[in-house]
Amino acid sequence: MAPPTTESPPSLRREARDLLLVAGGAIPGALLRWQLEDLGKGLVGGHAGLIESDLVANLLGTFLLGVIAGLPAPRPRLMLLAGIGFCGSLTTFSSWMLQISLALRRGRPDKALAVVLISLLAGLVAVGVGLVVGRRLGHRRLRR
Amino acid sequence: MAAPASNDALFVALGAVPGAWLRFRVVNHFEPMLPRKHWGTFGVNLIACFAIGLLVSLQTSCGLAADRTLLLLGTGFLGSFSTFSTWITELHDTIQRRQRREAVLLCGGSVLGGLLAVAAGLALGSS
Repeated sequence: MAPPTTESPPSLRREARDLLLVAGGAIPGALLRWQLEDLGKGLVGGHAGLIESDLVANLLGTFLLGVIAGLPAPRPRLMLLAGIGFCGSLTTFSSWMLQISLALRRGRPDKALAVVLISLLAGLVAVGVGLVVGRRLGHRRLRR
Repeated sequence: MAAPASNDALFVALGAVPGAWLRFRVVNHFEPMLPRKHWGTFGVNLIACFAIGLLVSLQTSCGLAADRTLLLLGTGFLGSFSTFSTWITELHDTIQRRQRREAVLLCGGSVLGGLLAVAAGLALGSS
């Protein structure tokens, strides 16, 4: 602990706050993704479930990030906590790619291509819808 | 069984925090240097793809580690380090700005590069 007379420089304090905000969002985000993966496994079974569950987490996070990005007034703290922390950790690129790669190795290029295309198109739609919702939410709040 | 399940959650959370921090710092670090900020996210995702390929192949070839290592490093760390939402949002942004070349490069480069990176990781780990 620093003695109370020497104040830590504001940049350092701000950096610590930023990291705490990111971590505070990252933990629930990763836990939710992990739970969604388990849920998918239980429902569909095996790798098919994994693929689909990553899709659920990815689309949910993409929609939410769209909402945050769509808010008219920039909210740096909300972006750190919910955007970079929560949505960033809820969604994943590496597991998604791993599943596509494993589908290719199992000789299922059709499945791999379907996962790529569905994720891409649905992701772009999710962002678009999220941006619209965010803008509307922001306007409603501004009017009040 | 409540105890092992909660332990598993701890492993995921312990991996997720440094993963998210590193992504945040790396993307911020490269933002002023790269002409367009989405290439920072692109780099992070490709590194994570290589690492997850390596991790999975090491696990299967050497029996390196139990499920918990995968939870900590795979689901927690690499899952949080890499991101789908930011990538798609940036891709959406390039499309809206009608930067067609940039959008094709970002989309195709990420998917093909990601597959190559996973394959390279898998090959290195099983060699």
